[in-house]
Amino acid sequence: MSVAFKSAVDDAVLDELRAITGDNDRVLPNLTSRVNRTRVPAPFPVHRWSEFMPDVAVLPVSAEEVSEVVKLANRLRIPVVPRAGGTGLADGAVPLRGGICVDVKLMNKIREIDLTDRTVTVGPGINMLKLNEELRPHGVFYPDDPASYPCSLVGGRIGTGGWSLLGARFGHTRDLVISMQVVLPTGEIVEIAEGGGRKLRKSSTGLTLKQLFTGHQGTLGITTEATLELVPRPEVEFAAFFAFDDYMKAYRTTGALTKSGLATLAGVVLFDEWKLRYLRRDDEAYIPQPGWVRAVVAVAMYGTRAEVEPASRRVMELGRSEGGKYLGDEISEGDWASRHDRYATPLHGRSRDGQAVPMSWHCEDAALNYSVLPQVREEWHAIVERYIDRYGIFDDWGMFAYTSGPYKPWADYLVEIDVGIWEQRLDDESWAGWVACKREIAEVALKYGGSITACHGATREGDAELVPSEMGSAWEVVKRIKRALDPNNVMNPGKQMLDEAYE
Amino acid sequence: MADYSPNGDGELQREFVERWRDNAYGCFSSGHKFCREVCPVMQVTRNENHTPTAFHADIVAMEKGVVSVADVADDYVHCTQCGACELRCPNTLFTGDFYRHRTRTVDVVKAMRALMVATGNEREGWKLWNERLADGTNEPVLGDVPVSQEHVRDWADGLDLPVGGDTILFVDCEAAFYRTSYARAFALLLQRAGVEFGLMREQWCCGGPAAEMGYVDLARKHAEHNVADWRAVGARRILAPDPHDYIAFTEDYPAYFGDAYDFEVVLGVELVAELVRDGRLALTEPVERTVTYHDPCRLNKRKGVHEAPRELLRTVPGLEFKDVDHVTQWSYCSGGGAGLPIEKPEITAEISRRRVARAEALDVDALVSACPWSERPLSQAADGGLEVMDLFELVARSAGIEIGGAAHGPAGVEAGGGG
Amino acid sequence: MSIFRLGDQRPPEPRRINEDVVERFEHVYEIDPAKMRTFPQQELPAWDTERIVAARWDHLDWMHAHFADAVLSAGLGSETMPEAEKPAHSAAPSPRDEAEATE
Repeated sequence: MSVAFKSAVDDAVLDELRAITGDNDRVLPNLTSRVNRTRVPAPFPVHRWSEFMPDVAVLPVSAEEVSEVVKLANRLRIPVVPRAGGTGLADGAVPLRGGICVDVKLMNKIREIDLTDRTVTVGPGINMLKLNEELRPHGVFYPDDPASYPCSLVGGRIGTGGWSLLGARFGHTRDLVISMQVVLPTGEIVEIAEGGGRKLRKSSTGLTLKQLFTGHQGTLGITTEATLELVPRPEVEFAAFFAFDDYMKAYRTTGALTKSGLATLAGVVLFDEWKLRYLRRDDEAYIPQPGWVRAVVAVAMYGTRAEVEPASRRVMELGRSEGGKYLGDEISEGDWASRHDRYATPLHGRSRDGQAVPMSWHCEDAALNYSVLPQVREEWHAIVERYIDRYGIFDDWGMFAYTSGPYKPWADYLVEIDVGIWEQRLDDESWAGWVACKREIAEVALKYGGSITACHGATREGDAELVPSEMGSAWEVVKRIKRALDPNNVMNPGKQMLDEAYE
Repeated sequence: MADYSPNGDGELQREFVERWRDNAYGCFSSGHKFCREVCPVMQVTRNENHTPTAFHADIVAMEKGVVSVADVADDYVHCTQCGACELRCPNTLFTGDFYRHRTRTVDVVKAMRALMVATGNEREGWKLWNERLADGTNEPVLGDVPVSQEHVRDWADGLDLPVGGDTILFVDCEAAFYRTSYARAFALLLQRAGVEFGLMREQWCCGGPAAEMGYVDLARKHAEHNVADWRAVGARRILAPDPHDYIAFTEDYPAYFGDAYDFEVVLGVELVAELVRDGRLALTEPVERTVTYHDPCRLNKRKGVHEAPRELLRTVPGLEFKDVDHVTQWSYCSGGGAGLPIEKPEITAEISRRRVARAEALDVDALVSACPWSERPLSQAADGGLEVMDLFELVARSAGIEIGGAAHGPAGVEAGGGG
Repeated sequence: MSIFRLGDQRPPEPRRINEDVVERFEHVYEIDPAKMRTFPQQELPAWDTERIVAARWDHLDWMHAHFADAVLSAGLGSETMPEAEKPAHSAAPSPRDEAEATE
């Protein structure tokens, strides 16, 4: 039987927490502090809100405080749920067993900018957009650019092993974090890096732990400081969007672009037919487009003018090589700059009778190889269609496939199907239906040799159950590591089926 | 199931939830959270309870019986109603115009504060402030020194301004009593340009701050009084130099009076910019200073006004102007709005401290604002370092006008404006 | 200088663009109000539509400048739209080929 325990946060524990922080205002057991640290922007069963609340929120300002809280949690077997922005899409920060929510937002300072060795060292509570505003005068930036760029925090990016829209050029979170300070599940403060030095990118000493500590979904510890890559600020940005009358032409164009060998390519995005139909609902760029526009490919490049300018001409050729038609400068540039914002406006949702209704956004995020993209698209849409028919409160918002290999545009793809869910109408039955839909989608990804999550994490129902089968023979190793580092199962327990490590 | 009626008023809470649930779900279903890093309060407290997200999520939670108004009351104090969140929100910025449905955090916060007042959950500081407002017909901006109708025109001593006429100048409480140099500068600029205008017979506070703090009946009463006064003197056009008043007259008053509200409202900074542009005001005296500009929230974010002040600054001879663009300034604020300085002066002080620090980093010797309510907390934060200037005062100086009045009220007056 | 008059704030009558979309202000699309019966529209005065549209363009400019010093354009218009239907945005951004990013 897996370790399941009730949270033991009582007044004595609250007193200890207050003693650790020395500041009553940073220990928050009151109701609204718990209510507002429950959910993340993913569909949420509002009718069962209190099941997912932490028992207390603590806002630490130092690694030492985090360490003491975690030690206390171990002593008393209280779950700890780390929370950075709470902007993830897979419930990584949603408490499953109450406990102590360790909310790192106050740890948002820039500790050091080193322009010589090209690093910036920050607390986990800083947002990338705000960080880059500070870096700009120095001619550098930190190019970790997800859709949540204006709100997600560095700690959460590390915890989820985030993906960046610019990853094909600059790498993803895992590649951009050089080293970090971590509080282990047993409370020790350790330096996790490639090797010894905090600012080294490549080493072969000992065991290379950095990879392990990015993307663990808060189950192996809490990052309390991170040293990040400083990349030269691009001289130019180039974006081009191409329209196609046929998905397969767009698909082949995507292949041509990603295999082009152009070094300044930052990202290529393939929009499928359902996505175009969805965008025609309310996106000013697509509303007036002629009916033959059924698929789109978007390309973005960053770098020096000397490199990007000639490369852009090649991109224009490749974009048209399968009959693609350029959507024009205004749309290309405007839509590229809108990339964080055009994702999930609730009123994109349409009920079965065509009414605009606010829908919550579920974003499935499988990782898949190029060869299977067309087939997976067909199977996924068929699945969602069945659930729409059955439950009526879902909506198919189409698919994106994004380049996902770090520094390797030719590699695999983050493949998304966006499903709208009419949250106001959600009940237990339709919730269960949605979870089943999720699971079917994830199973298709596995069937085609993919991963059920490229970046959000497999931390919720519908995904989590499949983690052991996806891990396959590696699952044993994963369990051993989890148990070794977290003997009492306090660190974000119940996530990713890791309770199995304790059976 | 939580008790809906912690203070015996479950019905009021139910009505509130009914009225605001669409707004709540509009945000909650999205979960974008782009609001939080532009929120001036959130930048300081880093407390998720104070996010615009929470302000909407709490209503959903209320509907589900998870929280009641007493539980959330303190959270809703943490807002200057600057409008950054609701503008930056993609549900406004990208599709608000398309759907004719946008995020309205300011309205949500105001409505919750009104519910707090109606259910006995009002805040002590605001309660006292609005009692004094009701007594004095104007905001108690001079601390322990009372303000009164008797003295509401004192700022205009020596200016020979008539009472009444078809164009009325409305002078907000902060300028009428505390920063009288602001009111005088504006009035003198208009006189210099030959613009005819008069004052009200009985100018009461516009009522905007009362509404922001949840005192809806008082706000309405003030609006009715002011409109009656305007009608009584045959006013057609109202000149509103202060951004807070401009919002009250172009948003609150139309909501109270509907189509019967047929006044024209002119924003002071746009008028002055036009006068300079048309040559009716000549800026001849150089002002040899290096300055940067603070976009007041209620001009920039709430109303989209950011060009006219910059145009003026670029016209002042001798001035070196180091700008920070108005989109970056979506996340800036003085912290002076919506009663925050009354209930949480330490948060206002920190917001202003950060704003001044950003200005100092530009290597300027003055920060110029176009809103008197921001100038008090900013001046306090600058604490004798950077000079905090007002735009109208600066323009008047450059027009060679002797302004008079005072920028900081009578000596010994306590800190803490109303917004 | 704009003068606020309540009467001017009423949005114009809609004209149809396609079966889902109408237009009241030039080059500003809106959803067909018939699709907003389940979830009602708000009263959005003309000044607010104008503010939102202007802010959106400003935000896009800002986002470009945030990531790079200049935007390189292909220098081409739409290859998908028939000539007659090409929308020209009234608040079109100025040419950016060699533009310096705003601070």
